[in-house]
Amino acid sequence: MQCSELELVFEQEGLAPLSAEARQHLSQCSACKHFVEDVTTIVAVAHELPAEIEPPEHVWVSIREQLVLEGTVREFSKGKQAASWWQTFGELFRNRVLATATLAAVLVVAGLSLSRTPPETPSEIQNDPYSSTVSLLSAQEHDLANMQLASTSAVDTSLRQNLQQVNDFIADCERHAKEEPSDELTREYLTNAYQQKAALLSAMMDRGGSLN
Amino acid sequence: MTEADAIRLAQAGDAAAFEFLYRLHGRRVYALCLRMVGNPSDAEDLMQEAFLQLFRKIGTFRGESAFSTWLHRMTVNVVLMRLRKKTLPVASLEETTEPDEETGGPRKDVGAPDLLLTGAVDRVNLERSIEKLPPGYRTVFVLHDVQGYEHNEIADIMGCSVGNSKSQLHKARTRLRDLLQEEVRQQARNDRQVAKTSTGQSD
Repeated sequence: MQCSELELVFEQEGLAPLSAEARQHLSQCSACKHFVEDVTTIVAVAHELPAEIEPPEHVWVSIREQLVLEGTVREFSKGKQAASWWQTFGELFRNRVLATATLAAVLVVAGLSLSRTPPETPSEIQNDPYSSTVSLLSAQEHDLANMQLASTSAVDTSLRQNLQQVNDFIADCERHAKEEPSDELTREYLTNAYQQKAALLSAMMDRGGSLN
Repeated sequence: MTEADAIRLAQAGDAAAFEFLYRLHGRRVYALCLRMVGNPSDAEDLMQEAFLQLFRKIGTFRGESAFSTWLHRMTVNVVLMRLRKKTLPVASLEETTEPDEETGGPRKDVGAPDLLLTGAVDRVNLERSIEKLPPGYRTVFVLHDVQGYEHNEIADIMGCSVGNSKSQLHKARTRLRDLLQEEVRQQARNDRQVAKTSTGQSD
């Protein structure tokens, strides 16, 4: 088998399972072997990326408003909305609105300071503009751990898995940001990841109820 | 409530059923939109557009394909339409292996000498490289290798053959490999530059 024939196999059948003939070629051709190793690595890392990301709540609010406006749906139940509004107003404010608003403000300030003055000297790098964001999120995560969602429902399990994936991604981003402090794209990823984490924690807290 | 119940109720205009379907599929759709356009604000717009289209047309859903496949097909169409408007010309689903920039001849990916990526790739540089893929490749790669769809489902979502989906995936992975190798080389150049500067051997 030649390299070009093996490429056709990859194109038509993917990486596995390979025929005996293909495996024999791989054992003799280091370039093709490296190709398989690289693609296997890429696929493995791709599997670690989160397949689900929590969208901001305002997206649903806009969709709902538009559906009502168009008359696509009957109006969303007012009684139910009013009840949940009054019942959960206190905890919503404490857990979600206040925390999310504070976090948003901190992220905006951090983002602005980063976009205006990319860190160039070691002393500037040490002055981490995300520190307040990280503290705020850690506090929320700590509160959440105290509340501990005992539920094993699919939604809660999925939220916990998503949080783990976002935390892993944040760790990767932080490492990259340390290695290349002037890399704007990494900082953008980091900001987005913190926002996703805030949205996730907020959703988990909503499901967990009040912290009282 | 099950998905089937929710679809039936939504077809009758039940508001709670719409919300149930949104909560069930929203996170997957948002992840797809975000990876396709690379910025949260555009992703939110596209997700909203996709769900509005879905809810407007839900009465026509007859269950020939899975509901999530139907939703993803709508989402991919909305996203690709937006990308076509934004950046012309856009790479089509029938993209073939591009010629090598230097030689003009066909790019030879398998069997060419290269550096190994093992240990040098993580989620950040992979996300960055996915953003650089042409939209057709990006869609297939995200659907298959990130979201876990099978080729027959992707063919259904994208309106192409299973063979075409497999071929697109192979080309997407090969292109990603090139992009990641370039990133690793660039990183090595930067490291050398930093080492030179720190030892006072500036160019």
